[in-house]
Amino acid sequence: MTGATSRAPAPPAAVGIDRAAFETFLIQEARLLDERRFREWMELFAEDGTYWVPAMPDQASPFDQASLFYDDRELMKTRVERLEHPRIHVQTPPSRTAHLVGNVLLEQADEAKGEYVVGSTVIMVEYRDEAQRLFAGRQRHRLRRDGASLRIVEKRVDLINCDCAFEAIAVPI
Amino acid sequence: MRNGHEIARLIEPGRVHRSVYTDPELFELEMERIFGRAWLFVGHESQVPHAGDYITTELGRQPVILVRHRDGIINVLLNRCTHRGAKVVNERKGSAARLTCCYHGWSFDTDGRLAAVPVPEGCAADFDQAAFGLARAPRVGEYRGFVFASLAAKGSSFEDHIGPMKRNIDDLVDRAPDGALALDAGVHRYAYNGNWKLQVENVLDSYHVPFGHASTINKQGVQFARREGDRQGATVVEAEKTQTAAAWRERKSYIAGNGHGWTSNTSLDEGKRSSPAFDEYKRVLAEKVGAERAQQILTPRLHNSLIYPNVSIMGLNIHVRVIKPVAVDRTEVTIYPIRLLGAPPAMNFGNVRLLNVTHSASSFVQTDDLESFVRAQKGLRSCATDWVDISRGLGEEEADREVNATRALATHEMVVRAQYKAWLGYMREAA
Repeated sequence: MTGATSRAPAPPAAVGIDRAAFETFLIQEARLLDERRFREWMELFAEDGTYWVPAMPDQASPFDQASLFYDDRELMKTRVERLEHPRIHVQTPPSRTAHLVGNVLLEQADEAKGEYVVGSTVIMVEYRDEAQRLFAGRQRHRLRRDGASLRIVEKRVDLINCDCAFEAIAVPI
Repeated sequence: MRNGHEIARLIEPGRVHRSVYTDPELFELEMERIFGRAWLFVGHESQVPHAGDYITTELGRQPVILVRHRDGIINVLLNRCTHRGAKVVNERKGSAARLTCCYHGWSFDTDGRLAAVPVPEGCAADFDQAAFGLARAPRVGEYRGFVFASLAAKGSSFEDHIGPMKRNIDDLVDRAPDGALALDAGVHRYAYNGNWKLQVENVLDSYHVPFGHASTINKQGVQFARREGDRQGATVVEAEKTQTAAAWRERKSYIAGNGHGWTSNTSLDEGKRSSPAFDEYKRVLAEKVGAERAQQILTPRLHNSLIYPNVSIMGLNIHVRVIKPVAVDRTEVTIYPIRLLGAPPAMNFGNVRLLNVTHSASSFVQTDDLESFVRAQKGLRSCATDWVDISRGLGEEEADREVNATRALATHEMVVRAQYKAWLGYMREAA
């Protein structure tokens, strides 16, 4: 795995901070996706939050290269509205997914600012219309404390096969 | 194997036989007679800017290398070692002084010449190294950076083939303030379990949009904004009547021979198109080409153009799309975002960003098309009827002397009929 997220620094900053709260947050996020609660999933993102799935390994920027997903809240809203539309053919029948999030590490923490970077590995199994397929990769969440909860400032998912020719992907990973 | 006469019976004026989508034997024949001799888009010169730069791709199913030699010439070489047949270059793109086979180490210069053979004393006494260069596409043609090749030594000239579509390439290239494009903003790749012609037919199909893409259209009948500076997209459906909107129904499609065609632009409010990135782009373009010409360039006339059989150029969400048949029921598509040279980076980003949501494997638009292709391939297994109907607007085509083409309503199926005319032209005659 050569994705940029694999080169995260060792996490000295996080020593002494309880990892469990962040892991729980990621598990809850995965559950919202698996239960197709896309609008609630979107609400986990800060107003300036972005969701990025690069289309090439080690992709430096979403600005000058194609990405599978690079949604700000506005595009995310269009995406979610489409997922809720009764005539979204590519979700007839809908996908069923199971996300597994593991290897969670708190990579950076700034308690004063309430900003954290959490790295993890994600596996998503998707079943739809008689076919099952597998997505896997490393993900990195940049999180910001918002009162008692956390908001996603940036979620980046580096799929190990990000540059392959995919069949239609309708749901976020 | 069917003879030319039997193949001709598969195509009727308003319908085609389902076997053209489902019969593996016909697919093999297509690889030989269409992809084995038509002018095919290979790549763009901006993908190989320096000596030694290469990309690898496929023409039909045949692996090829597009590589720039030291003399600046771009070569289209067959990616197959002349020794024992291994694919020589395995990377999708890169740069190399020599192309070396992984198996026994034969190495080739970037013009295809066999440069070195390990343990040469083992070669036969009359081994002619000069005869073992990588095979090359017999014919290569280029227009404004778009490189095409034909795998046949004979056939219609590049000029005859590309001539009617030059204007469509110009429409895209002229949008760049520096008058040139770069296909260097990555790629979108997608695949589907369906025949390649389903994608080719779809790029000029305006009939499907209100229904196939219903999930991208809001309650007011308007699609999401797809261009930098647009506040909303095209009005596709009349909200109250849930009918295809009049502006959409009036769109036109055009054919100009050889299977090529295009559709006229989507009705969008050009006057209201504005954003910091777009306004700056407009200013830079006007500075380069003059205000009047800039206005002309920024009033798009073309939505999508098909250069039959394997490439389309979209004017709305600008990109180049290459269609690669893999099997009778499997197709891969590569989509190149376009960087307009001389345009502000923010404008190019706007184009890249919106292409992510219109034409990637995970986009709002392309995914529903892929679903339609897959379902067509499944439905065509049915023997209930052997015929696929493409008769909309048959007999209603009219000449458009201004653009030297034949015109019809874009919700008609003239463009598909024209593709099958070209298809039959290739298919009925043995190579």
